[in-house]
Amino acid sequence: MKTIHKIVITGLMLLVIGGIIVSCSSTKDKYTDVTNAEDEFKIEKSGAQMWGEACNRCHLAPSPADYNDTDWETISLHMRVRANLTEKEITKIESFLKSAN
Amino acid sequence: MKKLIVLILIVGFGHISYGQTYNDFETDSIAASQPYQPSKTQFMIRGYGHTGLNFMSAEGEKESSYVGSAFAPIFLFKHSDRLMFEAELEFELENNDLKVGLEYADVMYVLNKNMTVRAGKFLLPFGTFMERFHPAWINRLPTRPLGFGHDGIAPASGIGVELRGAFDLGGPKLNYSIYSTNGPRLKDGSEEPEEAGMLMFQNFEDNNNSKAFGGRIGLLPFADSSTEFGFSAYSTNGVGETDSEYEDVGTFLYAIDFSFVKQIPAISGFIDIKGQYNNSDIDDATFTETHEDGDEEEYTFDNKSNSFYTQLSYRPTMASSDFLKKLELVGRYSNLNTPEGAEWEEQSVQYAFGLNYWLTWRSVIKIAYQTTDSVGGHDGGGTTNGFYIHWAIGF
Repeated sequence: MKTIHKIVITGLMLLVIGGIIVSCSSTKDKYTDVTNAEDEFKIEKSGAQMWGEACNRCHLAPSPADYNDTDWETISLHMRVRANLTEKEITKIESFLKSAN
Repeated sequence: MKKLIVLILIVGFGHISYGQTYNDFETDSIAASQPYQPSKTQFMIRGYGHTGLNFMSAEGEKESSYVGSAFAPIFLFKHSDRLMFEAELEFELENNDLKVGLEYADVMYVLNKNMTVRAGKFLLPFGTFMERFHPAWINRLPTRPLGFGHDGIAPASGIGVELRGAFDLGGPKLNYSIYSTNGPRLKDGSEEPEEAGMLMFQNFEDNNNSKAFGGRIGLLPFADSSTEFGFSAYSTNGVGETDSEYEDVGTFLYAIDFSFVKQIPAISGFIDIKGQYNNSDIDDATFTETHEDGDEEEYTFDNKSNSFYTQLSYRPTMASSDFLKKLELVGRYSNLNTPEGAEWEEQSVQYAFGLNYWLTWRSVIKIAYQTTDSVGGHDGGGTTNGFYIHWAIGF
């Protein structure tokens, strides 16, 4: 079991290091402002679409009217961490919920 | 005297005229006042509760009971856009007692767009069921699958520190979680001989210096986020008490989970498939069994357990009838196998079928039938059938 434990710890350490490098590295949108090609050609999902997809993975999608804007901010932060959602997903879902309530 | 009267008049009229200026109703109206600005610090109470009626029959014996209202308030304290404290209490009526539990209580901080750190007591992402699906208003059936829950073979929560986050891979998504906790403690049989060799995950104060390390990686390969595959691992070098003969007994657990949720027009509704396989491997150890005549006998066994569940549910959300739209059909299969030769040896298979009616997106009436065939176990095995009518609500 000690060998397996060492393998698990090594794997987790590599995952942490990799995650830190990727998440702390500069992203293209921080300094590249030459072209908006990505925006032009990529069809972005709407917040409503992401709300339907992400929420339904665990529970029925909530009605936007059930909470006010301030509550949605609190719930969004909670759900971002609980459901391990990406920043993009939760930002768009929160915007949709606040616009539709 | 005249000067005094003049002074009083000046002060009096001056005060009145100042007061009139101040109480200008045009400038002091509600419309002109500052608009409502919510503070960044927010406090919310959410949670869930459920209640119901159970009919059980096992080996010719029948019993029925209204089961107590479980109440699980969740406290959310948002300190800023990055910092939050969350806690869940669980009040449950069980065996004529009120059981109170702290499901989780942790502080979390968003480090950057891909990383969040949590510390405290948190739900462990060992698979997905206990972390995401166990609340009564989310779980599609009134019961949990075999091997899950507080006495299951897989950990539900732990005290420690965790790093978690998600990456957008331009369509597919990847989420991860890495944590270290106190880890489980081994039941050596001194208090409950029939449970010798079991792991107890409620280890609030560590019984040794060996910490548990674990993590989960989840991959959502499709852009519509309909499908998720996950792999979890959990390992520790020592689960026994310090300076005991079990100090160096280690354990390795892993879980594989799967989820598919999608609205399919061809079948006019949502289909939801979930599954999880848990495997537990604990180093072999020698335990002592005391017979009725006082004689002691040592025994050991290959301490390996596993459990599995898969669940399929269907909601006809695109049906023309409003009543049909709110219905949901559920079926679940689960099994549990604990070590051969252990006092708690058990092989169980369970089937559960349910019909749900969704009053709202967070309130559901569940009607279910469940049958469990067991060999061994606490109750000695046999067939147990159950019929449940439950009402769960999230808030």
